[in-house]
This record gives sequence, C-alpha cells and structure tokens, in this order.
Amino acid sequence: MSLPFEALLATALLGFVLVVAVLTALVRDVLTAVVVFAAYSLGLAGLWVLFRAPDVGLTEAAVGAGVTTALFLLAISRTVRPAEAGGIVDLRSIRPRSVLVAGVVTLALLATVPSLPAVGAADTPAFGPVADYYLTDSAARGVDNAVTAVLVVYRGFDTFGEVAVVFTAAVAALAVLGREVEA
Amino acid sequence: MSTQRAYTDSPVVTTTVRLLAPFVLTYGLFTLFHGTKSVGGGFQGGVVAAAMVVTLAFALGIRQTAAWLDRRVLLALVVAGPLVFGVVALAGVLAGGAFLQLDVLPIPKAVVYGTEAIEIGIGATVAAVVVLLFVRIADGYAEPLADGSGVRTAEEVRSDD
Repeated sequence: MSLPFEALLATALLGFVLVVAVLTALVRDVLTAVVVFAAYSLGLAGLWVLFRAPDVGLTEAAVGAGVTTALFLLAISRTVRPAEAGGIVDLRSIRPRSVLVAGVVTLALLATVPSLPAVGAADTPAFGPVADYYLTDSAARGVDNAVTAVLVVYRGFDTFGEVAVVFTAAVAALAVLGREVEA
Repeated sequence: MSTQRAYTDSPVVTTTVRLLAPFVLTYGLFTLFHGTKSVGGGFQGGVVAAAMVVTLAFALGIRQTAAWLDRRVLLALVVAGPLVFGVVALAGVLAGGAFLQLDVLPIPKAVVYGTEAIEIGIGATVAAVVVLLFVRIADGYAEPLADGSGVRTAEEVRSDD
C-alpha cells in the first residue's frame, strides 16, 4: 500500500464490507439480507483485486455475488415473506451471549493482526526462494499466469483432489436433492 | 395455484440480459482458454459461464431455461473434469514420466497444452455442477417467476390469481 489512494480505497472497501456484513445479520427481511450479502461479496471481490489477487476476485464475484445469491433467491422463494418485514431486527431480541461470542472471536482475530508481515514487505514468507523459482520456471515453460502454473503444474495433485471434491460434492448434493436426474 | 403461469417479462431486464449474455459467455470462455496466459483459469471461466446461464434463467424464465438445457450433456460435462485430469495425469506415466508429469508428453509445448486441457476439464465440471444444482433446486420451485424478481410470496401469488 505505497500509494495513499490505494490505502484510501482499501479502507473504504473494508469499511463498506464491515457495514454490509453487520447489516446482513441485522436486516429483518430475508430478501434484503440476500441482496446485502451479495454486496458484501462484491466488496470483497474489489478488495482481492486491490490486493493483486484478480483470480480470487473473479471467483468471489462470480461465486459469492452471483451464483450463491441466485441459489439463495431460489431457496427463499419457497418461504413466506411477512407483510411487515422491513427495517432492522428489534435490537432487544438479540441475545447478549451471541454478541459476546461474536465480539470475543473478533477481538481474538484482531489480536493476531500485528503478527502478520506488512503488505508487500520483502521478508514475507511468500517472497521466499520457492516463489522466485515458480515465477521464473513457469514463465520458462510458457505458462505466464503463475497462479495457474502453481495450481496445475506444481500442485497438480492437490488440484486433482479438488476436482474430485467438487465432483463428489455435486454427486452427493444431486442425490440429496431428490430423484435421480431425469434425462 | 397453477405451476405453469404465463411468464410476463420485464423488457428492460430481458433486453439487458440478452445484450450482456454473448459478452459474458465470451469472457467466460476467454478466461477458460487463456488460463495459462492471463487472469483466471478453468474454475473462474466455468463459474462465469455458469453465472451467465443462471442470470439468463432469472431473466427469461427458470423453467424455460431448465427445459432448454440437456441434462445428459450437463452430466457428461460434470464427469469431464476428473476424467480429463486423470487421462492427462496417466498420459504422463505412459510417456515414460511420473503421474501428472506434463513435460514428457509427446506434443509441442506439452506443459502449456496439458495445463489447458486440464483447465478446460475443470471449467466444464464447475460450470455444469453450478447449472445442475441451480436446475435441481429450481425443480422444486413451485411458482415460476412472474416478474423476474424472485420475491413473490405464496400470498402475493394467491392474491394475483
């Protein structure tokens, strides 16, 4: 974050994500919550792009803001929408214990932040000799996108496992969703 | 309550989605095929393409879109990812290398094209899984969207009828 503009943008996006995350929990109407949750995903996607991770940003935008929202909309279309479902939930209905747990988890996570290396710092473990090897070797092999190279060329076994997980999860979900797919 | 209602569409939504669809699908395919050269890859390209199909369904009618999709083809695409990955991985063994060793394959630019083949397989699986899940959930979906908003409740539908 050398440029102040990037720092400003990151702060604005983080603030937006935080507000939208809290709103997702607080709005009464489920449809509003789904839309607000999509905005949360979109804000995160922007943050990923800002942090030089466009591959993750693309995934977040398509899966988080796009597909998940569509699946949620389909799911809530089978529910009944109360007539007076507007605004924020009654704050008195929130259990103090839940707030306490959320607060403690947040503080515990925040306590780990100082031990993270600074953004872009040269001694970050990610900038070790392995990263240099990946960058030069993948370019030499003609795969310019180092992310793809790591996923398929150097960590192909893991990615094979991931595809198997997607496949297995899909088979399981389709089986649970009812009758076998009629052709 | 009938399950097949006349579908009334919003011209703004359908026109926007119709105009957008070729570009987004092209971008999805670009991301899929250019995984080795630029941002993205199989997973991203597949998800972008699938998200466009889901958007089309919301704009043009979920049941119509579901009926238009051939489920045999979708199921074949679901299998494509693990299958292509396994074939490419074993091709490395057959070519005298190790499992998943791409640079021994007897084709030009073996690492690039091997990676691309795997990426296309992953894209096919991911896109088909997302679309299939959507179609399956939409199957249990009793009332087709009348206005594309997806917010009509059973009560509203009943009062309309």
